Amino acid sequence: MASFKWTLFLLISLFLNSCISKEPLNAECDITEAFLPGVDLTREPIITNDKVTFIVKSGTNVRNMSPEFELTPGAEINPPSGTALDFSSPQRYVVTSEDRQQHKVYTVAVQAGNTVNLNYDFENVRLVSKSSYSYDVFYEISANGSEIFSWASGNAGFALTGLGKTPETFPTYQGENGVTGKCAVMETHTTGAFGKIGKKPMAAGSIFIGKFDVTNALSRPLQATQFGMPFFNEPKILEGYFKYTPGPVYYQADGGDLIEVPDKKDACSIQAVFFEVTPGMEMLDGSNLASEDNPNIIATARLITEEPTEEWTKFSIPFVIRSGKYIDKDKLREGGYSITIVCSSSVDGDYFSGAIGSKLQIDEMSLVCDDVENQ
Amino acid sequence: MKIERYSVLLCILITSIISKAQNSEPDNLKWSSLQGFEYEIYAAVNIGGSAPIPVPAEIRHIDGYNPNLNLQIGTTVTKWFTPSRRWGVAIGLRFEEKGMKTRATVKNYGMEIAMDGSSVSGNWTGKVRTVYHSKQIAFPVTANFRINKRWKVNFGPYVALALNNDFNGEVHDGYLREGGPTGNKVTFEGDAYATYDFSNDIRLFQWGLQAGGSWLALNHLVINANLTWGLNDIFNSSFNTVTFNLYPIYLNFGFGYVF
Repeated sequence: MASFKWTLFLLISLFLNSCISKEPLNAECDITEAFLPGVDLTREPIITNDKVTFIVKSGTNVRNMSPEFELTPGAEINPPSGTALDFSSPQRYVVTSEDRQQHKVYTVAVQAGNTVNLNYDFENVRLVSKSSYSYDVFYEISANGSEIFSWASGNAGFALTGLGKTPETFPTYQGENGVTGKCAVMETHTTGAFGKIGKKPMAAGSIFIGKFDVTNALSRPLQATQFGMPFFNEPKILEGYFKYTPGPVYYQADGGDLIEVPDKKDACSIQAVFFEVTPGMEMLDGSNLASEDNPNIIATARLITEEPTEEWTKFSIPFVIRSGKYIDKDKLREGGYSITIVCSSSVDGDYFSGAIGSKLQIDEMSLVCDDVENQ
Repeated sequence: MKIERYSVLLCILITSIISKAQNSEPDNLKWSSLQGFEYEIYAAVNIGGSAPIPVPAEIRHIDGYNPNLNLQIGTTVTKWFTPSRRWGVAIGLRFEEKGMKTRATVKNYGMEIAMDGSSVSGNWTGKVRTVYHSKQIAFPVTANFRINKRWKVNFGPYVALALNNDFNGEVHDGYLREGGPTGNKVTFEGDAYATYDFSNDIRLFQWGLQAGGSWLALNHLVINANLTWGLNDIFNSSFNTVTFNLYPIYLNFGFGYVF
C-alpha cells in the first residue's frame, strides 16, 4: 500500500512537472554592474535599486563620459550602454525588462572629490512613497541647491514589517522643534510578527553615511548597513546637539523573541569612524564598525550615553587616532580614506537589542576638519 | 466551530436514515424501494489538489506534492425510473475535506507576505511551500445509469460551501521584489523565511462537475470511485495576488452501504 502511495505521488509529480510551461521572459530590469572605461575610480561603483554613483578622482573631467552597464538578462537600457554623456549633472537612464512590461528609471551620477559635506542641519527630506507607506530620507544640499548625498537609514528594511504607515511611524523621520528648524528623530521600534519570524525583533532608528542594502536586510543584517563615503579632509571633531530619552525596559534579542534584561538601560550612540580604504574593504559594515582591531580604522569619535536629556545638549567629540595609525596626506588627496557618521537610538540596535521607545534627536551636526579645501 | 456543528448534523441525518432503514419501518423502506428509491451512505478518501490549469509559467518546478488524507462521508438518494430502472436521478449531501501540501520553485510569482494586520506584496522568485485544507459541504445532483446488476455510473454538477479554509504557507530561499518586479530586492536565505495566508480569500460558494462509477461488490456493499472537477477558482474574484486560477480537482475512492 505504501509503495502504491509513493508510486502515485511520483506519477502525479511527474505529470505536474510535465505540464510546466516554457520559462517566462524576465520581468526584472536591474543594472547589475556598472563600468566607466578608461577612468580611474576611487571606489567600486555604488549601485542601488534606482541609482548608480561613480566616484572619481578630484579634477577628473566629467563632461564626456561613456558608462557601460550590465543588466538583468534580456533587459535593455536607454541611452544605450557606452553612450557619451555630460555628467556635470546626474543623467537619467531607463531600463526595460526582457518581457517589455517593466521599466525602471535610474539616476547615474559621477562624483568627483568630496562626496560628503561638513554641516548637517536635517532640513531636507525626500519622501519615499509606496501604496501602503511613506518614509523620510534625509539629504544634504550644496550652496547651489544640488543634492550632495543622502543619509542612509534602516527605514527600507522596516517597511517590510508592514508596521510603518506614515513617516512618523518609521524608526527614522524628520521632527519639528530642532535647535533651528527641523531635526532628525530616531526611535527604537518592535518589528512585530515579521520581525519575530525573521529573528529581528526590533529596529533602532538610525542615520548614517553609507548605504542600506535592503537586499541583505533579512539574511545578513550586519552586512546590510554599509558604512562610509570617500573623504578628503582630516577630521578633528564631531559636534552638534542631541536629546535622548531611553525607553523604559531593555530587551535582548533571543532569536525572534525579546527577553527583558532587568536593571539594564538603553544608550544612544553618536559616532564617526575615519578609515582607510583597501581592496576588499571599501566600506565598513555592522560586523566591523565598532571593531577595536580592524586594521583599516584610523580614527574614531564616539559618544555613547544612557543619560536622558530633555533639552538640546551640545556634544563635541574629538576624533582619537588609534595607536600606530596616522593619516597619509598623499593618500588623503587621492581618496584613500572614507568617513562615516552613525547615529542610533539604541547602541546595540544592530544586534536587535535595546529598549522599545528609545528616542534620539540630532540637529546642527558638523564635522570640524583640518585643511578644508574642497568645500 | 461552525463546521463541526454541520458534521454533527450530517452524522445525525445519516444515523437516522440507517435506523429508519434497518429497524423501525422496514415496510417503509420496502415501499420506497417499490417506488424506485435507493438510499446509500458512503465514506471515501479524496486525493487531489487545487491545480492551475494550465500550469502557469511562473511555476518552474514542482518540488513536492502530498495529497494528505482527506475524508469524505455522505449520503445519496437515487430515484430510479421504472419500469426498466436503468436511469435514475440522485441527490446527495456530503461532508468532505479537500487539501494538499505542495512545494514548488517559482519565478516572479505574485505574493503577499502576511504580518500583524498588514502585509507586503510583491513578486517572489524562489521556493514556496503551500498548505491547502478546506472543509466543505457539497450537494451533488447526478444522472445515474445502471449498466448491469453490479455496475452503475453517474455524472452531474455539484455545488459546495467551503466552510472552513486554510490556504497558507511559506516562502524561503529566494527573493522578493517589493511591490513589483522593479521594487527593492529582498533576499531570503538560510533560515530567513516569511509566511503568507490567503485563507480569508477562499471562495465560499464553489461548484463543479463530478463523474464516477460504482460496483456492487456484495449484497449491500458498493465500491465507489468519483472524480470531482471544480469549475470556479478557489479564490474570490476580488483576490488578485495569485494571478492564475486554481481549480479543485479530486479523485475519491471509497465504499458505501446501499439499503
